[in-house]
Amino acid sequence: MTPSQSAPIPEVYVLWHPHCSLGENLARRVHTWLRPGNGLGPQVFYRSLPAPEAPERGLPPPLPGESRSPSQSEEKRRPTLTNLQIVLALIDENMVADQAWRHWLVSLRTAPSGQRVVIPCALDATAYNMPPPLRELNYLRPAGLPLPDDPGRKAESLENVARSLLKQVTEAMCRVMLSRRTTRSDGTDDSFDSRDSLPKVTIFLSHAKADGTAPARRIRDYIYSQTQLAAFYDENDIAFGSVFSRVIQNGLGAADTAALIAVRGAKYATRPWCRRELSLFRRPRQESAANDRVQRWRLYPSLVVEAMEGRHVSPGIPELGNSSVIRWNDEEKDLEESIVTTVIRDAMLAAFHSAMGASLPFPGPGTPSGANRIVINWLPDPTTLLLIPSISSGQEIDVIHPGRGLSGLELDTLAEFFPNLTFRSFEEDLS
Amino acid sequence: MNSTRSKYRSRDIATSVIALSISYQRDSLLARGMGLEHLRELLIRLARMILRRGACLAYGGHWRESEDNFMFDLLRLIAAEQEDNTSGGQDAGTQIGRLYNYSAWPHYLDVTPRIEAQWINSCRIVRITQQLAGIPDPDIVPDAEFQKDAPRVAFNSATTLSAMRRLSMQGMSLDIPDVPGSEKVPPVVARILLGGKIDDYSGFMPGILEEALVTMRMARPLYIMGGFGGAAEVLARALLAPGAGRPPELTQDWHIERNGALAKLVQGSHDFAMPQGAKSTGALLDELFKLVLRARQDLPGTLGTGLTDEDTRELLTTRNLGTAVRLVRAGLTQQNKLTVLPG
Repeated sequence: MTPSQSAPIPEVYVLWHPHCSLGENLARRVHTWLRPGNGLGPQVFYRSLPAPEAPERGLPPPLPGESRSPSQSEEKRRPTLTNLQIVLALIDENMVADQAWRHWLVSLRTAPSGQRVVIPCALDATAYNMPPPLRELNYLRPAGLPLPDDPGRKAESLENVARSLLKQVTEAMCRVMLSRRTTRSDGTDDSFDSRDSLPKVTIFLSHAKADGTAPARRIRDYIYSQTQLAAFYDENDIAFGSVFSRVIQNGLGAADTAALIAVRGAKYATRPWCRRELSLFRRPRQESAANDRVQRWRLYPSLVVEAMEGRHVSPGIPELGNSSVIRWNDEEKDLEESIVTTVIRDAMLAAFHSAMGASLPFPGPGTPSGANRIVINWLPDPTTLLLIPSISSGQEIDVIHPGRGLSGLELDTLAEFFPNLTFRSFEEDLS
Repeated sequence: MNSTRSKYRSRDIATSVIALSISYQRDSLLARGMGLEHLRELLIRLARMILRRGACLAYGGHWRESEDNFMFDLLRLIAAEQEDNTSGGQDAGTQIGRLYNYSAWPHYLDVTPRIEAQWINSCRIVRITQQLAGIPDPDIVPDAEFQKDAPRVAFNSATTLSAMRRLSMQGMSLDIPDVPGSEKVPPVVARILLGGKIDDYSGFMPGILEEALVTMRMARPLYIMGGFGGAAEVLARALLAPGAGRPPELTQDWHIERNGALAKLVQGSHDFAMPQGAKSTGALLDELFKLVLRARQDLPGTLGTGLTDEDTRELLTTRNLGTAVRLVRAGLTQQNKLTVLPG
């Protein structure tokens, strides 16, 4: 998962026909899902209602770079770091039957730009009646459609549809964000659109056998049966007779291991190997070369599945830092889907932020903050920052992190730990 | 926390109030490729920048939990930004980073003690009563009768709404019974406008237009993000129009034709005397148009943006939220000589 300057930095456009009753709800769910927290994740925009200057029943505003007519030309192109448009078309009968939309979707799909990926999503069976350039693509197919007529069941059913869509969107985005670009024999870059195989992204499952294996097994089984991902699970992945520690260490550090799920039961904190796995995985890795003027560090995401039962008491685990936590419940159906979808979403976001960080312009000579900068791809927390040597040595450094800025409370806490650091968000750095 | 204070916060505008007049109009925003989530992001970006300079916010939202009401987003942001000044530090006694929620009669009657108590450390509700609006005692409608569909109720309500917008620019002293002295509410020193209803509004004129008017009248900085539709776009177009032509939206006839409630209000108003300082729809629109004409000669000067002419025009037209935020921040920074802070 080595990022490069050419790593995709997407912005997402969700398209739906103005008469599609599901579209807006689903689009908003996609926005919220892909942009958690304060400005994390790629920009998500909508295209549905006709643009203000469009004729009646006309099309929404064009996408940046798209030429339609002089009257609808895009305003002065804003400076942007993005290099890829992901077009998520929520296709229903209204879109299929609307000639203007059909024409638009085809033009988006067939435009010569290799910097656009069109992902069609079928909201009903007519969606496959789009023109061939769309029809030939493998559609997302959210489960649970059509919605039942019974109004009492509609809300729950819509929730299921949204969840299914988000899972599929996340996997599709991972395909784009986590795969490597290839270079053709003529030296040109491979178009993002031609990627047709999901990279074998691996999720490392960390658990203590003494806590029982039910949650970890359920998650592993889900990964193998319902996704195109792989899991590192000690029972399966440590061959009999092999050196236990070396296999785990290799698994944690492997290029295809994109995220870790820690199933935290009552005994987890006391198991040396679990702690070792955590501390190895949650160690920032330097991406920049030694002679680079800016240090760039990357952390792969981890998710804690809180599986403690009853009134057990367990020590805290500082290595977990600000990892997200999901509570496990044996009775809850589809919980493993939420866990896995969340962790691969976070892996996708980590790749996105890493690519963003690599593209940040370096402040010119004479800029006071230009001398000591560290760009990280995660939201800073004391445990992980202390593992970066130049930070632990107490140097004065600007730490550039994803998002739009930390809250006052978070800054207060970090300032107490690191009086010599100044935290700036990507947005702040770009403005 | 002193290091944090100096590094990430300043007190550049610690006694100032900056008003956010931002409302969500689904169709306007969606036609430009955005939704509620984008507006919320914009609001938070602007509000955080203001709060970190020590200023307070003014926002006229209501207290009902609905997704297009940004009141609770702002309150949660304030709670995360607010510093504790109770220990006698450099800002003891200064109200840092709170929200002034102006609420005109009869709307404030919905605010329960529980709501007020819950948010009292982050928000000061400023109730604009009929008395504060200058309505003489004999004409005051008892609170119990506010739901009556009577011309007097509509007139008093519209008059109080207008007074609220005027008073927010002047600052106020609030007397607290049996407490010596009075509580000072600082005046609004700058206003940021986006969206807003151009028809189907209550009061004498669209809220965004009246708020623009009272701000321009006091020659305070006014940041109009006109590229996102609504009344702000109407105003932006009027400001950018060449010559001396008067847009129909700045005439009383246009509004009476489209807003039945206003037609009734104007009709009913003939029987009532305007309190001192209050103006009728026609007079308000005439005054606004005069200011618009002046702005056409000197846009950044009349609006007091602190930006160049080119940037002011871009702010009035851009449909890019990032650009809009950048320009407002640059304008406020320039106008108020603000420290550039990391964060």
